Amino acid sequence: MDDLYLDNIDEYVNDQNKIVTYKWLSLTLGVHVNTAKQMLYHYLDQRRKERSGTTLHATYLVSGKCSENGSVCHKVSVVREDQLDDTKSKLDKTISVHVYSVQKAELKDSGPLYSTDYDAVKENLKNCNKYSTIRCAAAVPLSHTELQKVQEKVVEKEATKPSLNDHTAAAPKPSVKQPKGIMGMFSSKAAPKSEACNKEVKTEQKDEASPTEGPKSKVSSKANAMNNFFGKSADKKVTTDKPDKNIKEETEGAQSSSAAVSSKPSQSSSKSKQDIKEEQPKESKAVKDDSKDSRSKTKRLEHSDSEEERADSQKKKRRRIKKPQSDSSDDEVIPDSPPVPEVQTPSPGNEVKKEPVSHQEASEGRRRKRRRVLKARTFLDDEGCMVTEKGYESESYSESEDDSKTTSQPSGESNSLKQSLGKREEEKTKEKGQKKAPAAAAAANKSTKQSSIMGFFQKK
Amino acid sequence: MFSDITEQKETLLAPPGTERPVFSRDERTYSGCSEGFGLGERSFQRQYAHMYAARLMQMRGILKDRAEQKWGTDIPIKKLCDLQMGEQCVIVGTIFKHMELQPSILKEISEEHNLLPQPPRAKYISQSDELILEDELQRIKLEGKIETAKFVTGSVIAIMGAEKNDGKFTVEDYCFADLPPQAPREPLNSDRFVLLASGLGLGGSGADSMLGLQLLIDMVTGHLGDLGEQSGAASISHVLLAGNLLSQSTQDKDSTTKAKYLTKKTQAGSVEAIRLLDELLVQLVASVPVDVMPGEYDPTNYTLPQQSLHRCMFPLSVPYPTLQLVTNPYQAVMDGVRFLGTSGQNVSDIVKYSNIDDHLEILENTMRLRHLAPTAPDTLGCYPFYQQDPFIMAECPHVYFSGNAPAYQSKRIKGPEGQDVLLVAIPEFSSTQTACLVNLRTLECEPISFSTFSTEDDDEEMNISH
Repeated sequence: MDDLYLDNIDEYVNDQNKIVTYKWLSLTLGVHVNTAKQMLYHYLDQRRKERSGTTLHATYLVSGKCSENGSVCHKVSVVREDQLDDTKSKLDKTISVHVYSVQKAELKDSGPLYSTDYDAVKENLKNCNKYSTIRCAAAVPLSHTELQKVQEKVVEKEATKPSLNDHTAAAPKPSVKQPKGIMGMFSSKAAPKSEACNKEVKTEQKDEASPTEGPKSKVSSKANAMNNFFGKSADKKVTTDKPDKNIKEETEGAQSSSAAVSSKPSQSSSKSKQDIKEEQPKESKAVKDDSKDSRSKTKRLEHSDSEEERADSQKKKRRRIKKPQSDSSDDEVIPDSPPVPEVQTPSPGNEVKKEPVSHQEASEGRRRKRRRVLKARTFLDDEGCMVTEKGYESESYSESEDDSKTTSQPSGESNSLKQSLGKREEEKTKEKGQKKAPAAAAAANKSTKQSSIMGFFQKK
Repeated sequence: MFSDITEQKETLLAPPGTERPVFSRDERTYSGCSEGFGLGERSFQRQYAHMYAARLMQMRGILKDRAEQKWGTDIPIKKLCDLQMGEQCVIVGTIFKHMELQPSILKEISEEHNLLPQPPRAKYISQSDELILEDELQRIKLEGKIETAKFVTGSVIAIMGAEKNDGKFTVEDYCFADLPPQAPREPLNSDRFVLLASGLGLGGSGADSMLGLQLLIDMVTGHLGDLGEQSGAASISHVLLAGNLLSQSTQDKDSTTKAKYLTKKTQAGSVEAIRLLDELLVQLVASVPVDVMPGEYDPTNYTLPQQSLHRCMFPLSVPYPTLQLVTNPYQAVMDGVRFLGTSGQNVSDIVKYSNIDDHLEILENTMRLRHLAPTAPDTLGCYPFYQQDPFIMAECPHVYFSGNAPAYQSKRIKGPEGQDVLLVAIPEFSSTQTACLVNLRTLECEPISFSTFSTEDDDEEMNISH
């Protein structure tokens, strides 16, 4: 038997001042654990015989059976050399004794033993059990492809579980598609926004909890916000195809995660697709009627919704959103300055579906157009307080053409949407769209198109 | 017992020999049956009344049978609305315990009372508690031979007695649903063990417990000990970690209380702890099948049934098919032995609302009540189930456990139809350094404890932990 190991151990203990545990030795030298234990013993023995003035200390592992209060218990302990005999005497039956570690200095505490082993194991995580005594036939890691298959199956299961209420047109891997769809939509938008939103979506994807209404609403609210951007800014870069496709994908994705679009399956899909198509800048002809129809249809859908809360909150949202609109407003246009944070319509505004509600949308081709401007409105809210809100409202102007279309969602709602977007970047609170972070909205505005700044100088 | 099958072999205090023994892990047949505890699509729009109604409905038939068995068929079983004054009868319903000290959100937010929120207490019982029995339509106060402090809200029982003049029901006797039917198990030929551990408490400040944990893992994977012990360890065919893998200190929500600029760069404590857990798990799963149940302080949902931890948190261990992330409560059949148990939230909740402190006694009581968590949803967070109550035990387990008990306890109980159940209160590893080994052949349980030395042991004897 080759005694090189004795020199090795000597080097580790004396020269490098290491604590040599049996596990560390076995992993370092690549030997069976029992061999390592025997090596340590041999080394200890030899050194002690050779020089009497050796400063080697050892810890031992003792395990055995002991009976306390009539009940039998199996004890495993790591003890110092001086406590070894003591411990052995306490046990009824000693099952195993072996050297646990050898080191130069005396250990007061067993903490360093743990850290030595921890380091050794950390380096060899893949084959930490290579030198152990027990082999388990079932414990073979799956290969990469097998693992992917398993994961896909699980993802499908998760996707189909929550879409119990939703329709079947969900893509097979909706959660995977979802970020892609949203990414596509964001590709024409400001980079930071997309990053933030992607991060959000990715974390949502990672969330094991089957999508609750919170994340769903976030997705749909993002979608809504994006739609707003499409509508509001004259985004010539965005071709009709791209937003269409992306919105469709996003719809699918959003729906598959049962976004707060609607609960009735096929109707909703066609509905929202219809809605989105209607949002196209160029097709604002029969938008008014269609949108009204879709709105009323969706309203009806909600009434017959089995999920009462959604219907209730939708109703609530409607009620509340209508209320601010009915109040008077000042005619100031302050497009890009961040509005002062105030009380505003509650977060249900976020969960409103992608309605292309265009209240007073004029058809294209005429000089007299409507567009959305940032206005401040002052009104009295429930508690009798005066509230000033800045929001987008549609307004007619007879200028040179803009591609702007008016997806005039109620201003409060758009406000809350933008604010929720911004806020999400800071705190990932999913249901509080009530916080104001209009800076994000302003930033997004600034970064998209020159026209938004030009709006400052255009005729009101 | 585990310590009986391990033989003594003194081979390691010798120079290296040539034998390199390798044992192969015993395999067991396994089938999980905790589908009832998985939540698919979740809707929190419902009220909890449905759950109580389902519970009563499911248990009423069982209790009627038990009442007839106990008191004979002469005494009529009546609903509360049909009660006659003075007539002796049997009523079946859900217990509601009215406790003054029970934290009530309505009282807290009531402006009239101007109350500060109550500080958390160890026990919320008091002398003035009252028991009320409710059925589908009515409720009635109970008095008489019924010990108020032992019962908790949500238990469904049958009571024999009579209604007296003042509208209260005087109890003469009561009975529970007792143990459900048990499928007989086939005896095994060889000893096979299942290791139960809980309360690993990673991410906490106890560095000593880490070595204990490492010793546990080394023992199970066959690194530790002499040949005899290693061959014994090869007969451990399964490991079950019953909750609280992370310590309570990882629950610190600094980010919500402190200012943003202080917490921006810091990570939640649970991130590091989960990484540590993953590294520990990969050592275990490479050698033995492991079931991981979430507990009170683990990153999963709060309400029962807790869903399994997500596989993305364990990138190193997930490739191994031996890792199973399961729900809390959990049920499985291993080698014909049915295991059922929780991570201990149901038991500790009952501790707070009754005068019983012994975890094992509470386990037995829940078994007799045939319900895993009677206090859900009253004081224990629970998902609002609609048409069924999955916590009612349909089939009697052979091993019934609960994790995170203050000390190890185990007991064997017998049911009225010959059921035989081993009750195990798994101790918290981070404080007791003890785990349990259940022998599947004999249904006996043995604690196994690990100890290390530290500076305090210089003068006294070695710290024997149990």
